[in-house]
Amino acid sequence: MAFLGQEEQIRELQDRFRFLYAALIVGILILFSRLVYLQIFNGEKMRQYSEENRIKRVKMSAPRGMVFDRNRTLLLDNRPAFDLEMIPQYLKESKKSKETIILLSRLIGLREGAIAAILEKMKNQPSFIPVKIKEDLSREEVALIEAWKIDMPGVQIQQEIKRTNIYGDVAAHLLGYIGEVSATELPILNKNGSDYKLGDSVGKFGIEQKLEDVLRGEDGEKLVEVDALGRIKFDKTRGRVLAAEMEKLATPGKNLVLSIDQDLQLAAVKAFGDRAGAAVAINPKTGEILAMISRPAFDPTSFSRGIPTTLWNQLVSNENRPLHDKTIQDHYPPGSVFKIITAIAGLEEGAIDDKTVFNCPGKITFGGRTFHCWSQHGHGNLNVREAITKSCDVFFYKVAQRLKSVDDIAKWAFYLGLGRRTGIPLGREVAGLIPTEEWKRKRLNQPWNPGETLSVAIGQGYVLTTVLQLANTYASIANGGTQYRPFFVKRIESIDGQVISESKPEILDQHRLKPATSSAIRDGLFQVVNQQGGTGYRYRLPGMDFVGKTGTAQVINLSKDRVFAKCENMKYRERHHGLFAGFAPASDPEIAVAVILEHGCHGTNAAPIAQAIVETYLRKFDPVKYGAEAIAARAASEKEAQKTKWVADQKVKANARAAAAAAAAAAPSENGSTIDEDVNQETSDVLPAGGNPE
Amino acid sequence: MSYTYSESQPALDPSQNRYGFYDEELKKFNWNMLILEFILFGIGIWNLMSATAVEDKSLGLFRNQLIWFGVGMILTAIILMIHYSFLSRVAYIVYFANILLLVAVLVVGKSSLGARRWIGIGSFTIQPSEFMKVSMVLCLAKYFESHRTVGGYGFKDLALPTLLVGVPSFLIMLQPDLGTAMIVLLTFGTMMMFIKIKPKVLVTLALIGLTAMPIAYKFALKPYQKQRLVTFVDPMSDPKGTGYNSIQSMIAVGSGQLFGKGYKKGTQSQLNFLPEHHTDFIFSVFSEEHGFAGCVILLFLYLIYLMNGLQVAFQSHDKFALLLVVGLLSITFWHVFVNMGMVMGILPIVGVPLPFLSYGGSALITATLGVAIITNVANKKFMF
Repeated sequence: MAFLGQEEQIRELQDRFRFLYAALIVGILILFSRLVYLQIFNGEKMRQYSEENRIKRVKMSAPRGMVFDRNRTLLLDNRPAFDLEMIPQYLKESKKSKETIILLSRLIGLREGAIAAILEKMKNQPSFIPVKIKEDLSREEVALIEAWKIDMPGVQIQQEIKRTNIYGDVAAHLLGYIGEVSATELPILNKNGSDYKLGDSVGKFGIEQKLEDVLRGEDGEKLVEVDALGRIKFDKTRGRVLAAEMEKLATPGKNLVLSIDQDLQLAAVKAFGDRAGAAVAINPKTGEILAMISRPAFDPTSFSRGIPTTLWNQLVSNENRPLHDKTIQDHYPPGSVFKIITAIAGLEEGAIDDKTVFNCPGKITFGGRTFHCWSQHGHGNLNVREAITKSCDVFFYKVAQRLKSVDDIAKWAFYLGLGRRTGIPLGREVAGLIPTEEWKRKRLNQPWNPGETLSVAIGQGYVLTTVLQLANTYASIANGGTQYRPFFVKRIESIDGQVISESKPEILDQHRLKPATSSAIRDGLFQVVNQQGGTGYRYRLPGMDFVGKTGTAQVINLSKDRVFAKCENMKYRERHHGLFAGFAPASDPEIAVAVILEHGCHGTNAAPIAQAIVETYLRKFDPVKYGAEAIAARAASEKEAQKTKWVADQKVKANARAAAAAAAAAAPSENGSTIDEDVNQETSDVLPAGGNPE
Repeated sequence: MSYTYSESQPALDPSQNRYGFYDEELKKFNWNMLILEFILFGIGIWNLMSATAVEDKSLGLFRNQLIWFGVGMILTAIILMIHYSFLSRVAYIVYFANILLLVAVLVVGKSSLGARRWIGIGSFTIQPSEFMKVSMVLCLAKYFESHRTVGGYGFKDLALPTLLVGVPSFLIMLQPDLGTAMIVLLTFGTMMMFIKIKPKVLVTLALIGLTAMPIAYKFALKPYQKQRLVTFVDPMSDPKGTGYNSIQSMIAVGSGQLFGKGYKKGTQSQLNFLPEHHTDFIFSVFSEEHGFAGCVILLFLYLIYLMNGLQVAFQSHDKFALLLVVGLLSITFWHVFVNMGMVMGILPIVGVPLPFLSYGGSALITATLGVAIITNVANKKFMF
């Protein structure tokens, strides 16, 4: 093997350089042709791909419609809420995470560990995605954080428009709340062509749920530039490739004007305090609901924003059932409030008339069973007006005995709207129960026991009514027998205030009461509240002619010795419910109201709530007529009139006596009964001479 | 091209190393490679500023790049002041030091994205596998300078070089850094082809390579590496997964069209559709924003760089220098080819940076070292 010198070696290698050049040229040509292929031949296609990459359709959620009361007080709104967010990336880069968390925990009153735990939980998502630390900051917290922001890298406040119930838990059950569409709801919601998506807001309760179609707007969409992780870019300088007309604006939902009067609602809530119960006020001339309150309640706003578990558990375990709408979802034995129905049935069916007098010895025996009056000593002789006033049980037992069957009472109960759903568009309304013979046969497979009719007559036994039914029934009684369907939506308006539709009163049933029946009932109810000794006398409204009936409903069956035990000494859950139903003003009713005070012991305890609602309403309804001065003036003139009348009566009586004395010898008198009747109508405390003995 | 001998100076011994510059050397200083380096690096830093302009990327990456380039320039100055034959003397020392570093990476290295490739030095990290390429070329050049043959090298001659390349390749594979190992092997292959090996050796090597490939695929490659190869053959088989990078980078390159979307207006990169777009996928940023015209200019610059380097090698009268330059150039060539091929979807995705454009200190310093050595050789050619 010859050994070549360096020069020859070099020369030999130099010969091989052409291979290197060739390889180099080939390599560069391969790359060049690929460039041509991608950028020249496929450039347009690739450009389009890149545009599709970065342009994304983004939903613009439409704001839900607002809800107002009848005076245009805003009840449900979309309001900005402030959430505290942290961007872990900035926090980490600042290398001050610890100091930041300590400072932040002082500012918002959250433990450092809690903040760290939230951050830790979100560790798996990309660190530039903000993590929500606290929702719904108060104004003070927002101000504090803004002030210290410089020292807290990665901390930011996010403003979001959120559904807000402005009055908190007032009318919680009526207004309801919204929530996110869940996977199980989705197919049901989209059954009739809607386009809900997971995570959209949808009404879940109350008006929010039932008027979803009205309140829900139409979402818009816009095209935005996003990066590979879907983050929206706000850089407007970059040329837009796709046309702007592809944007669709969101259409807000329609606004609702309710028939509800927020002042009444607030008055009722105040009157309830922390007690449990429900109240409904209805305009007897139209059926529109003026107030609808169930206590205790919950704050729907917290539901709309995702309720914390602790709060939820608290609500569920509360024995006063705040999640229950006690106006329609619960029925109660109406107790004495129901006696009006018995009275109407008796009067209308001709079992009694307004002069019929029964004697109350404190109890009666029927079918081998003793039926007590609430007054152990009895009420003596009384007619229907006095029976209502004193709420005498025995009187109504006797009416029941005179009626053909329980079906006569049931008939009038049905006529006046009890025992069936009112059809109010709210969830899970119960029908209540008005027992009939047929019902018992079918339902319990037992014949009707005539003794049970007596229980029904005083609103016990099987009778169950909702508060809404009672209010509507008393509204029917107030207007003389017309049954309107209760409603709460007065108007649906467009966002700019154009009326889209207006609710009209709808008559469900009409059974006009005889004028005599109406006046007898009205007088009885009047005396309950306005006559000394009436069960509601303490809560009369001078000058407003507030009338009504108290009722007490036993919650459990009590043994005889405990029937008369003092209710306040019993266990809370065993105490009687207190009820009150009435209307005002008596001569031309503008408002009918029904109240239940759960475990309130006596109807008298429910009366002040009704009183508060009625007083607030009438003051507002006619500030002149029901102003304090006008009432005082009216009272004074009435007193004057009474005085003149009394004087005149005395004269008439004196004349009559003289005439009687003069005529005594001459002829037997007819005048006596006339005078008696006259007196009877005025004061009702003298028995008519020709009263029916029983 | 003659060195004028001056009486006033002592006679020169070519084997004696001189430090500093000769007057002639300064007068006829070959600036070509350095100028090209500055142009390419200038484009690189300008492009890097666009690639890292996205808000959520921490700014200042291009400043780091400038610092490393400064380090590279200092090293360049040092290398220019010594004679390249000094490199021949220290070749094995450099090589073993580098091997030690590679071992150190595996033991104490920092891992990122599932690979251990870096050693931390203060707040900086270095990637010894980048330097390994140069060390290996030094070694091979030295080896073949002293081992001379006629009619091509046989198996016996190639045993040591194979070992010299095999050990670092294996260590790099362990990290794992398939891309760099591939560059090392491709460079080795190029040099072997260049120095002429016997045909039977060539055939045997080709057979070994062909049989080794399926075995390596089956046993040596990690699942994600296999997946990359699958998606290279058919990127649409997993467009959201492993095929995603390939598709998005092809879209980026193609969407540049003739003149590009404009500086800092590349939607693919600015909106982060491209992963790693400031390192291995830097070319997609450039091609998206500057289009075909820009790419052709860039490609042309690399071509001139390589041609110019080959010219230097060709004119060298020293076998060591010639092989050294050819080796260095082949490193650069394969980097450009594999990187661009990967970005444009004609090669599977392997982590190989684009010289002077990709972000990364070790790769940039390695590239400046290459330029420094080539320039050194270019300036010393008159001395024989």
